[in-house]
Amino acid sequence: MYYYLYDSFLSDKKYAQTIAKIENRLIDLGINGKVEKMSVLKSVKEVVDDNIKNGADTIIAVGSDKTFTKIFPAVANQSGVTFGYIPMENSNIAKMLGIPVAEKACDVLSARIIEKIDIGKVNDQYFLSTLEVPEASNVSLECNGGHFNISSISKSDHIQICNLSYAPIDTERHKNVCNPKDGYLEAVFTPKEKSAFGKDKLATKKQSVFPIRKMKIVSDDIVSLVADGETIVKTPATVEVLGKRLNIIVGKERKF
Amino acid sequence: MTNTWKLTTIRLYFNINHSNMFKNQDGDMVEKDTETIIGPSVKVEGDFHGEGSIVVEGQVTGTLKTNQDLRIGTNAKIKADLEAENVFISGEVVGDLYVKGKTELKSTAKVTGNIKTKIISIEAGASLNGNCVCDQNATIEIKEETQKSKTRNGKNDKSDIL
Repeated sequence: MYYYLYDSFLSDKKYAQTIAKIENRLIDLGINGKVEKMSVLKSVKEVVDDNIKNGADTIIAVGSDKTFTKIFPAVANQSGVTFGYIPMENSNIAKMLGIPVAEKACDVLSARIIEKIDIGKVNDQYFLSTLEVPEASNVSLECNGGHFNISSISKSDHIQICNLSYAPIDTERHKNVCNPKDGYLEAVFTPKEKSAFGKDKLATKKQSVFPIRKMKIVSDDIVSLVADGETIVKTPATVEVLGKRLNIIVGKERKF
Repeated sequence: MTNTWKLTTIRLYFNINHSNMFKNQDGDMVEKDTETIIGPSVKVEGDFHGEGSIVVEGQVTGTLKTNQDLRIGTNAKIKADLEAENVFISGEVVGDLYVKGKTELKSTAKVTGNIKTKIISIEAGASLNGNCVCDQNATIEIKEETQKSKTRNGKNDKSDIL
């Protein structure tokens, strides 16, 4: 049974026509189901849990990447439940998953190509694509139970922990980097250099890539880490991969 | 007959291309797809164990071990014992090397330490300050300290990095 969870911003009139097209297409494809709108009165986890108890086996997030990152952790906690996505605008996560915008996404849902992908966990929060470490001078990664440490020599590298990343990574050099099915997270260190105009730019050709299952991010001062561009987590933080934890409907044009 | 000829041609084509996967036109060994890259802006300290191939262009202190290929770039600075299937060195290494297959020292290589390997190739200009044991028929024995690092606290040390 399909269950559609709409983000609250879709109540705006400008989305009414698009929502109508989506709902008509879902009916045509025979995959319409229960619809509910997110609200501040009820947590996403409670809403998802209640509907799974009532028989929903496919949860679809309708909205933006923010909607996606709010809902998928609740689905990842459940076994035997599939997650889907209808993006209302051009979306980086949708691009990685091969899902087109609006009513065209309904056809992807109908085709039901399901992949089991890894997700990341930082302390008690989940993330799907990237955990960003903002420029912090004394951040280091303790890996393999502290047997080795990775740190930036210049203390100014841009650090990302990637699972399904859309961030600029020199993929010409690193084949299969950020494959969300490989059972690893990639710790990517990108140094900065000055451009011709004196501004900082990322030197992608000098990147370092470490495939890691579990690590601890430590720093002398407390640093805020940003998961999926939304969730803030403070150091020290334990980061690990949860292999093949999320069943997700993807499109043929997916990047992995 | 026609089908047999086609099958033979396909097999021949595959074999030729398969053998070219690991040799370039000059017949030199070419590394497989890289798994770990230690870039010039990064420093690794401690016992680094991986299973995929590793490229080092930064700094490493401690031990560095993989069961595939290890390439040390021109600007790399390593103070570590190294263990790998094949090793290609263009930079600076202070430490012992245990190589199951081939060791290549490029012209800019500076190695201070002992090398145990099956095959060695040293370009003109490379510097080696240590003993070198090179025997094609030998099975390279890993020194006891490296082996001990596999078990820590009485448990098998399952690597978190490939």
